[in-house]
Order: sequence, then structure tokens, then C-alpha cells
Amino acid sequence: MSLSPYAPIIGLFALAAAFSLFSVGAARFAGPHRYNKAKLEAYECGIEPSPQPVGGGRFPIKFYLTAMLFIVFDIEIIFLYPWAVSFDALPIFGFVEMVLFIVAVFVAYAYVWRRGGLDWD
Amino acid sequence: MTTSTVLAAAGDVSGGEEITFWILAPLALIGAIGMVAARNAVHSALWLVLTMLCLGVFYVLQAGPFIGMVQIIVYTGAIMMLFLFVLMLVGRDASDSLIETLRGQRVAAIVLGLGFAGLVGGALYRAMDGTTAVGLEQANAEGNVQGIARLLFTKYVFAFELTSALLITAAVGAMVLAHIERRKQDKVDQPSTMRARFAPGNYPGPKPGPGVFATSSSVATPARLPDGRLTERSTPDILPVRELTAQETSLKGTDQ
Amino acid sequence: MSPSYLAQDPTLADFGRDPWWLVLIKIVFAFAFGLLATLLGVWFERRVVGYMQVRPGPNQVGPFGLLQTLADGLKMAFKEDILPKAADKVVYFFAPTISVICAVTALSVVPFGPMVSIFGHHTPLQVTDVPVAVLVLLACSSMGVYGIVLGGWASGSTYPLLGGLRSSAQMISYEVAMGLSIVAVFMTAGTMSTSGIVAQQGHGTELTIFGNSIPAPGWYAILLLPSFIIFFISTVGETNRAPFDLPEAESELVAGFMTEYSSLKFALFMLSEYVAMVTMSAVTTTLFLGGWRAPWPITIWEGANSGWWPMLWFFGKVIALVFVFVWLRGTLPRLRYDQFMRFGWKVLLPINLVWILVLSGLRSIEDWDSRGKLIAVGIPAGILLVATLFWPNRRPQPKPTTQEQVDNRPYGSFPLPPMDLQVPPSPRITRVVAEREPANIATGSDSREV
Repeated sequence: MSLSPYAPIIGLFALAAAFSLFSVGAARFAGPHRYNKAKLEAYECGIEPSPQPVGGGRFPIKFYLTAMLFIVFDIEIIFLYPWAVSFDALPIFGFVEMVLFIVAVFVAYAYVWRRGGLDWD
Repeated sequence: MTTSTVLAAAGDVSGGEEITFWILAPLALIGAIGMVAARNAVHSALWLVLTMLCLGVFYVLQAGPFIGMVQIIVYTGAIMMLFLFVLMLVGRDASDSLIETLRGQRVAAIVLGLGFAGLVGGALYRAMDGTTAVGLEQANAEGNVQGIARLLFTKYVFAFELTSALLITAAVGAMVLAHIERRKQDKVDQPSTMRARFAPGNYPGPKPGPGVFATSSSVATPARLPDGRLTERSTPDILPVRELTAQETSLKGTDQ
Repeated sequence: MSPSYLAQDPTLADFGRDPWWLVLIKIVFAFAFGLLATLLGVWFERRVVGYMQVRPGPNQVGPFGLLQTLADGLKMAFKEDILPKAADKVVYFFAPTISVICAVTALSVVPFGPMVSIFGHHTPLQVTDVPVAVLVLLACSSMGVYGIVLGGWASGSTYPLLGGLRSSAQMISYEVAMGLSIVAVFMTAGTMSTSGIVAQQGHGTELTIFGNSIPAPGWYAILLLPSFIIFFISTVGETNRAPFDLPEAESELVAGFMTEYSSLKFALFMLSEYVAMVTMSAVTTTLFLGGWRAPWPITIWEGANSGWWPMLWFFGKVIALVFVFVWLRGTLPRLRYDQFMRFGWKVLLPINLVWILVLSGLRSIEDWDSRGKLIAVGIPAGILLVATLFWPNRRPQPKPTTQEQVDNRPYGSFPLPPMDLQVPPSPRITRVVAEREPANIATGSDSREV
């Protein structure tokens, strides 16, 4: 019986999962365990850890914008792939419509750039 | 063509497909239930990742490798990353409270949910029972990706172009919601920082570090000036100033 | 190109026919390749960086220090496994495994060689290939972000959280650049399967530019040079390697997302980083450097591209790319975060988009007659020229002189020396010169005053 060509991907995935889970599990038993309160604190270069702000650590909303832009371009890329693969099979119209699409997304990109959404400081 | 070997599996369910389905379907369900049941918001997002991943593999199983991979890349990769980011914006330990605001609401929700699932499942089963799927071979004749491209860029070209409008909306929306507008003249560059530092009234030297005259090495403890006063200048602005308790200043027992 | 050559190229139909034991052998081989590549890769990196910094590098354990990484790995296994108090236990446990799984799974679609015969089975030297193989790679790399961001989040500590966030923002930014640069490869190859892309690079295409046909080399690194450069830069960003190793910027973030990890969990993160580096080198080789195909001078020999030899060329190319990774680390200082993000979003991305448009435009007018081509190229070029000529440029404001800036400072500012200050020669120097006796070396025409 021959396997589907997708099966080996799952196989390698399973092998890697088994190996890494084994390693992580083994780490609990292989090493020594010498309890020390200071060792279990968060590491802050040797000084006592600073008290965490109330409500847990929050972080800049800047990252949200990056993630959103990433999604926009990821989707654009996903549309570009089938277009690129069957580029020769598509008529010249295919080229024109992709130019329109890229330009449209580029408008959003230019807007974000112009407003300073791509600046980090 | 290998696509044809994969596709051949679509008409009659092959052994491999069945095994994979019966392993992954419970996993997908566990993920979905875990997503609802998990109290920690990030855990809940991670359960959803599991479900999405299983769905991606299901697409591949059903001879739609392109859409399966897209599911993994876009949903599991991108959207979930955004989701995680948003959750982290809320705070690290944001957990749901388990207090019922309406009495009996949880039981009612479970009963109704199960009933709805039963209705949909039953209807689907009745509708699909005995029907055989046709047309997959034709649809994937020139390859899955090529087939999608042919349809997407000819028949569904308006939908495709409209997607760009959706993407623009998403980008602009994110900009409006999350961007803090800063004009060019408000930006503090290095020379102006230096000018401000040496401006009259500002002490240009380094800030006092905790340690020399301090009783603790914590950054949250203010340093002591030579005259014995505490100075606020040594603590970062975001940290609340605090005095250490006697217990905290005592030896930790780490020096044995 | 003789037909015997092409027969060596596996097609998609050759996959999914192996018996299960052959699939198992291939899987174990790919996995062992990943592990061995890490063991040797760490050693290789340390040795090469050592030579670049004029020191020997690890040379004690085993011949040439080859077993140094193995020794380190064993040592790590017997280190204490610390679970920080504030950590989210389950996620902290799983984060390193996610990293490793994603890095290793990507190896499943990398072609190591052409069709060979293993125990009588005619089979391609590749674990598997599917019509969407490159998407499998992208999926692995986009899932790999999770290991890092979750590791940083679950540690319950400030530095790891910052490192994890930075890292994920960096990886997703460079994933966009990477994904876009592959579009050109798909367009030229007309397929997404890795073996198909390698096969397409086997025969040089004939480029017809204005009636003259020029034989072009098959490697996409030459054919699609901008894509290749952008792809390689973004692989460096994607694998968090220097000069883009901001998640682990030890001068700012201690060790980034792996600050709180110890023992084998830390080792797994290291492993995944090196496996990812090797995988990315292998993918770059596959997509742009002709895969397992022999480079030019060797192709004169007929059998260069058949049998088991191509594996050697493949490993040679991968090692060369890993060397470039190490070379970059030994040469370039780390970028600042804002410079890094600006580079990704404002340089790589627009160049990439424009390049895709130009390439697709050129390809779609390939069959036109020369007059049509001239019009199709000339009109956009003309518009571009006119736009650059008449682009309104802002008049630069006259910059105040230093003296004006000094005069404008408010009263009581930090005292400054006069701007035209001539530093007088130090009195000590004159004294030294004055007290010194003239050197009495030799009498002759070549004696010099000291």
C-alpha cells in the first residue's frame, strides 16, 4: 500500500513532536533539583525583580498595527500565489486585474506610511 | 499526477483519510470545547489554534491542498497572532470570572447549544445521506492551484477586486484605532534631547543608581542621597515607589 | 539537454509511491540531518567566527573540537530544569517543542537529490513533495512564531515578554518580504512544488530581448536577482540571526524570549534556531541556487546530476549559505529596532512589489512584436521619467550656524567654550621635547631625526 504524499509530512511532524516532548519531559528528571526561592523569581540581571504593574504586563498598541498590516499583506500574498503559478495560462486581463489589486493595497500601504504608522521610535 | 492520487481518495473514502479524520476530528472538537471552557484568554486562543490546524488538515484531506495551507498560514499564523496580540494588550493574566449573571444561563446555553448541534447535524446527515460527490476531478483537472486561479481571476474577478477594498478598510481601521498621531515637529530627536538635557534647570549628570546609599538592590526602591533623603530620580517612572519591608531586606538564605 | 538528464528529475507523480519502510527511512534521515546539522552547525559557526576574530574557537573535545556541541548538549541535559514561579506551566512546557516541530517539519519538502535507487526502489531523494510544497514551508515558518511568542509570554518575566513580542513582530514583518519574493519564483517556474522548481532551474531559458535570443542561466538567483537578495535578507530576519538578532539582543534584553529557560528546554530553542538556519539555507538553495544541481564547471562531467552525487552539491551549497550566515554574524553589528523595522517595511516591501509588477509586465509582453514591446516599455518609463523630473522637492531650510545656535540658548545654560577656540599646546609636551636628548643612532646619510 502506498501512502499519500502528505503522510510523510505528518510523519516528520510526529517524529519531531515525539523527540521534543521526550526532551522536555526528560529535562524534569535528568537534572538536579535544588530548591532556592531566588532562583524561581523572574530574572532581572541579579537585582530583585521589579513589582509587576497591576493587571499584568501590557505592551504598546504599536504591535497591533504591525500585526494588522501583516495580515493585510499576507492575504495579498496568498492571492498572488495562484496568480503567479498560473500566470502563463491567464490572459493579459489577469495581469491588469492584479495590477489593480496591488495598486489598491498599495494605497492603504501608502496611507499608513504617510501617517507614520510604519515609524518605530 | 499526484493530485489525481489524492483526488481519487475523494470519491471513495480511503483508509488513510478515514484514520486521519477520526484522529483529528476529536482533536478539533476538543480544541473548540477547550476554547470555550478555558478561563485564561491566551489558553483559549491556543485551543482555537489547535482547531484551526485540524481544519487545515481536513481541507488537505479533501483534495483542497491550497486552501488547507492557506488556512494554516492565514488563520493559524496571521489571525491568531493578531488575536494573541490583542489578548496581551488586555493584560497578561486576564481571566474570565465564573460568576453567572443570569441564573441557569449556563445550563440553558449548553442545552440549547447541544440541541442546535443536533438539529444541524441531523439535517446535514439526512440531506447528504446517499448522495455521491461529483465534479471534483473536473475541478482539479489541471491542478488544484491552477483551478483556483482560473476561477478566481475570471469568473470571480469582482469578488477578488472587492477583497482589496476590504484589505484597505482593515489597514485604515487599524491605523485609526491604534495609531497615535505624532507630528514631525513633536518628534524628539537626539540633538533636541541633548539640548533639553543641558538646558538651564536640568541636572545633566547621570541619575543616581540604587545601591550605593540604598538599602536594597531593587530598582523599585529609591536611592538615598548623601544627606539621607530618598530621591525619586533613581526609580523609573512606571514603577510605584515603595519602601522594603523588614522581611524583604533580610538575608534570603541564598548564601549558604 | 539530453533526455537521460531529465529522467533524473522527479515529478510529482513519483511521490506517494514509496512503501512505508522507505518513507520511514527518509523521515528518519531528514530528522537526523536536522540534528546533525545543528551539532556540526554550532561547531562550524564557533570555529569560523573564531578564525574571523583571530582565535582558535572550540578545539578540545574530539578531533578539531567536533564533539564540542555534543558535550554541551549532554551537559545541558543534566542541568537543573527551572520552572519560574510566575510562569504559565503548560505553555512554558510546550513552547520549545513548537519551535522544534516547526523547524524540523519544514525539512520534509526539501529535495536532497534526484531519483536514486534504494534497495531496488526507484525513488526521489526527498521525503515528499506536494503541489503546495512551498506553502508547507511558509506554514511552518508562520507557526514557528508561536514557539517564540509563547515562550516569552509564558515565562512570566519582563525581558522574555519583550523579547518574544519583538521577535514575533520581526518575524511577521520579514515573512511578508519573504512571501513576496517567492512570487517571482512561482511565476517563472509555474509550480509550487519544490522538486518542480529544481527541475525548472535545470534548463537554461532562452530570453528574447528585442529579437536577440540570449541563453540565460537556469538558476533563479541570477534570473531573479532582486528576489534572491530580498529572500536571503528576509531569511536572516526570519531566523533571528545577526545582524537581525534583536529578540536576543543581549545588551538590551539579556537573552530575549529564552531568558527564563534552562536545561533541555533551552537546548531545544537553540536546536530549533540552528535547524531553522539550515532549513532556510536549504530552501534558498532549492528555490534560487538550482537545488541539488551541480554548479557550472562540474556539469561538464556527464554524470554530475545523477545518482547520489547531487546530494554532495546540495550539501556544498547549504554549507556555503550557512557560511554566509556566520560571515554576516562575524561582520555586521546588530541593527537598532526602528532601523530594522523600517528596512523591512519601507525598503524590502515596496521594492518587492515593484519588482513583481515589472517582472509580470515583462513576461506578459514577451510574445508581442518589437514595436508593441517598445510602446509597452516606453510609456511607463516615460511617465516615470517625467514624474521624477517634475517631482516637487521641498526647498531645504537654511540651517542656523553653530554660532547662532549658541547665541540662541537661554540664559544660564551649560557653559560652552568659545567656538573658535584654539587649543594651546600642552606645556608638558614642550617640556618633554626640550628635555630629550637627540637620539644618537648612527652617523650617516640614512640617519633620521627622531
